Amino acid sequence: MENDDENLILLCQKGKIRAFETLVNRYKKNAYFIALGLVGNSDDAFDLSQEAFVRVYKSINKYNGRSKFFPWFYTILTNLCKNHLKKQNVRKKYLSNEIAREKLTQTQESEGESEKESLKQKLLDEIDKLPYKFKEVIVLKHFRGFSYKEISETLGIPVGSVMSRLYYARKKLKENLKHLKG
Amino acid sequence: MNCEEIQKLMMAYLDEEISDKEKELVEKHLTECEKCRNEFDSFTQLKEVTDKVKLADLKEDIWAGYWKGVYRRIERGAGWFFLSIGAIILLALGVFQFFKNLFLDPSVSFIVKVGICFLAFGIIVLLVSIIRERVFAFKKERYREIEK
Repeated sequence: MENDDENLILLCQKGKIRAFETLVNRYKKNAYFIALGLVGNSDDAFDLSQEAFVRVYKSINKYNGRSKFFPWFYTILTNLCKNHLKKQNVRKKYLSNEIAREKLTQTQESEGESEKESLKQKLLDEIDKLPYKFKEVIVLKHFRGFSYKEISETLGIPVGSVMSRLYYARKKLKENLKHLKG
Repeated sequence: MNCEEIQKLMMAYLDEEISDKEKELVEKHLTECEKCRNEFDSFTQLKEVTDKVKLADLKEDIWAGYWKGVYRRIERGAGWFFLSIGAIILLALGVFQFFKNLFLDPSVSFIVKVGICFLAFGIIVLLVSIIRERVFAFKKERYREIEK
């Protein structure tokens, strides 16, 4: 278990930057895709994910090993994302200017079936509109493939609550997409 | 089991995170309850769509340079920290020397000395007030109105 997160953090606390590099490389994709799912813009997601790692490094000595690394990192990352979204909403409010959402999808089929494409884009837009606590379970489940146990540990909520949130998130998505299709 | 309890288990069924015993319970309920069966069918359709949606990945060279980006930010942060400490030390020394020379210089009139003292005191009060306001805003209002 030489290379587990807790040992790597202990090494970071002793000033070993290589240990932090290993941690960053281990979680960079999760960090980026979670941020992307939450803020909906790849440049911002890249920037926010890197900033989250910098903040973790700056406060690495505060980590006491009582909880796992990823939930701690996730809190820092999502606080940055929430703050970013809040600023973006304020900007939108005052500029009355819709910030263009990037085309973030990649499909598994090569043929561009425009109707399916459009439905997928609508799905992403609807995910974006979900209340934050529903959006994050959808992002973790669908975009990162987390298990219920992993989502529960990351968010610090019971597995039953993960299932409830998924139920209400999917129900809302279903209703909104039905409305759009109809 | 009632419909409400089944709703949660439906999610576990869809995501294949269900035990054999729970699976039997859900299947039994779905054969008996038309409302839940319809809901389950529509959730299955939604999952088919969501499973096909993947967020676009970045190019491999961008991932390869990811750590360097983080490292540069850490390095820059340390640079700014030392630069600020150095600047504060030099500024404090300069201010001290300025006031020392000013008060020891007999050619500067008493009223000018008093005027400069008030000016300096005003600047210090304004700076402290701004810093205190920024610190308060950072601690108390940073993530206000954001639910966790």
